[in-house]
Amino acid sequence: MPQDQPNSPQDRTADREARYAEFVGLLARHDLSIRRFIRSLMPGSEGVDDVLQETAMECWKKFSDFSPESPEDAANEFVRWACVIARYKAMSWQRDRSRDRLVFREGVVEALAQSALEHLDQREEERQAIQHCLSKLEESQRRLVLSVHSPGESIARIASETGEHARRLYSKLNVLRGLLLDCVSQQLSEDLGHE
Amino acid sequence: MNEHIRGSIFQLIDGTISDQDFERLQEAIEADSSVREEYLRAVGLNESLQELAIDSAELSGNEKAKPAADAPSSVQSSRKSFLLAVALVLVVVIVVGDIGFWIYRANSTDQPETLITDREDETTQTQIAGHATLRRAVDVEWPDEQRHHLEGDVLPNGLLKFDVGLAEIDFFCGATLIVEGPATLDIESDWSVRVLNGRLRATVPPAARGFIVKAADSEIIDLGTEFALNVSPEHARLEVIDGEVEIRGGHHDGKHLLTGHSELLKGEEAPTNIFQNLTTASELQQHREKANQEVFARWQNHSQELRNDERLIAYYPITDSQQQRAVENAADSGSGRDGLVVGPVAKTNGRFGQESTGLQFDRHGARVRTRIDGEFQAFSFACWVRIDSLEHRYSALFMGDGYENGEPHWQIRDDGRLMFSVMVDDSKEINYFSKLEQKMVIDAGLHRVYLTEPIWDLTKSGKWFHLAAVYDPKSRRVAQYVDGQLVSEQEIEDKYHISTLRIGPAEIGNWGQPFRKTPVFSVRNLNGTIDELAIFNAALTTEEIHHMYEMGKPLGY
Repeated sequence: MPQDQPNSPQDRTADREARYAEFVGLLARHDLSIRRFIRSLMPGSEGVDDVLQETAMECWKKFSDFSPESPEDAANEFVRWACVIARYKAMSWQRDRSRDRLVFREGVVEALAQSALEHLDQREEERQAIQHCLSKLEESQRRLVLSVHSPGESIARIASETGEHARRLYSKLNVLRGLLLDCVSQQLSEDLGHE
Repeated sequence: MNEHIRGSIFQLIDGTISDQDFERLQEAIEADSSVREEYLRAVGLNESLQELAIDSAELSGNEKAKPAADAPSSVQSSRKSFLLAVALVLVVVIVVGDIGFWIYRANSTDQPETLITDREDETTQTQIAGHATLRRAVDVEWPDEQRHHLEGDVLPNGLLKFDVGLAEIDFFCGATLIVEGPATLDIESDWSVRVLNGRLRATVPPAARGFIVKAADSEIIDLGTEFALNVSPEHARLEVIDGEVEIRGGHHDGKHLLTGHSELLKGEEAPTNIFQNLTTASELQQHREKANQEVFARWQNHSQELRNDERLIAYYPITDSQQQRAVENAADSGSGRDGLVVGPVAKTNGRFGQESTGLQFDRHGARVRTRIDGEFQAFSFACWVRIDSLEHRYSALFMGDGYENGEPHWQIRDDGRLMFSVMVDDSKEINYFSKLEQKMVIDAGLHRVYLTEPIWDLTKSGKWFHLAAVYDPKSRRVAQYVDGQLVSEQEIEDKYHISTLRIGPAEIGNWGQPFRKTPVFSVRNLNGTIDELAIFNAALTTEEIHHMYEMGKPLGY
């Protein structure tokens, strides 16, 4: 065996470490986009973290296959590559739980994945549009919209403070969500119009 | 965007969607790209709001918000696995998050909710009293003093007690309990329940955060996801399966429990493995499927026997049918009396769930046509039907086309009364004042409509019923049944007596040939589903009707 083989164990370790650092860098920058993509394919937030983790592991296992066509666009390509794996993982997670109440069937996951891939790079615009639209609401409306997500806050609590029926608050919440959705899609279409 | 679809999307995100709406939404997502876009945008909105809510709570130093390390909500645990990402997110929020406006807007509450148009008119809105629904029930045995609930029932305020079996209860706030009998619960509101006895698993999605379960002298406030509870007269133990709960009152007032932690709320230390084999949602579903297969098989046996009954005029066991357009007549009278699906009849689940078939007539043009020639001496009609709403003045079950002499009409009025009638003399014109139309109208001919008391209201929407009507000219008796019980028995007076009965061209689920042209009368499609119909040339006895109900009833009845 030749003495000067280039892949000495030390080299391989160093190579692997560099590769790992690259991987972690890409994943850290894009894990929220990937998470959002996975969330889009699942009916609830249950299981999203499991699928994200499985996806990250699988991505690392297959990372040697990942070869971006243009280095400038590596980040973008990485997200799309990871989302293909994520789609598969989200589908099989739901298939394993097809007896459960709320899981999407395969055709639905497939259709959603296609649409979601088209909007992968819109996340930041969407977030800004949401903030803009939220700022148009009254404070009490904003509180209601955020109550279901805020730690220590809840519809039940608002109901007991204001004396309004929780069920009525809940239907108000859905009216507000609808208004926000309309506002967000209008914002986004205006943004596109400026391009 | 269709408001119903949008509502379903929000319900799905909150985990409160019904199985039926979920199925419809899945179909819409597959078929319609605009629904897909709307769903994705709604998920995006939900996720962004969640990020914003948590970040703003953290940054504004909200005391109630825990530092990420000891609040393992679903959002935060995902971030824990990517610590670097957490740092990045926080930077982004500090840069773009306009914290100023929260403080600025806080003073402008004097014009509240200007954006909300008052869509809910409480006075005209149909209301149902109750706080929860019984989603699924497997082998539940109700004690005599307790109302016997069926799957889909709205559960009112008050005690809910059962001796054995498994019940899955959805509170309107979105929280779900899987309760194992024997159990006694006191349902207090959409947001609160007291557990007097029993073992349960509680699942609380984000929209239902704040849901309160009371046990012993404590209140358990769920701050998200899942916990188990076991209560007996002597002791009460709580264990957090995933997430976080807060205990108020009792010895542990103010204490927070996290995933895996357990606390005794009352009594001495009980055996340690009290939560072993606590039923999960998917186990409940498996039990349910097994039990469902048993009742389905029981009906299939019965149905095979019934086919040989020589008194049958026609028999349509739709629930067991694989046919596309034909609705097979399984009686000896043969395929000449097969029905034919016409118009937008949707194939949907029958009363035994996914393995069975039902025909849904909710679109105006939907109908099954058949033609049954011959003369008969008596009629017995029996069908299994699920009524979603009574949106027309009359909703058709089985209708003779022209309503000529001797032909039957079997339908339901919008006040929930069953109506059975046979045309006695179609040559006579009867004039009367119609309250509905506020004018004199000419009726079709001499006939009498035999009405029951109201048997249906909106709380029974989506539930399966066995309905039967017996018309017996010989004994001059009309009897009507709901779920095997006699609900009405009337005499056929001389004036309305007719001894030769016919059917001819007829329809199931609609009426093809209305003779009066006002809109309130002309649309009679049943907003519901039929999955079995039998017609006999005989007056069946109460025992026979009851037997059909017992052999054919779906799970949980």
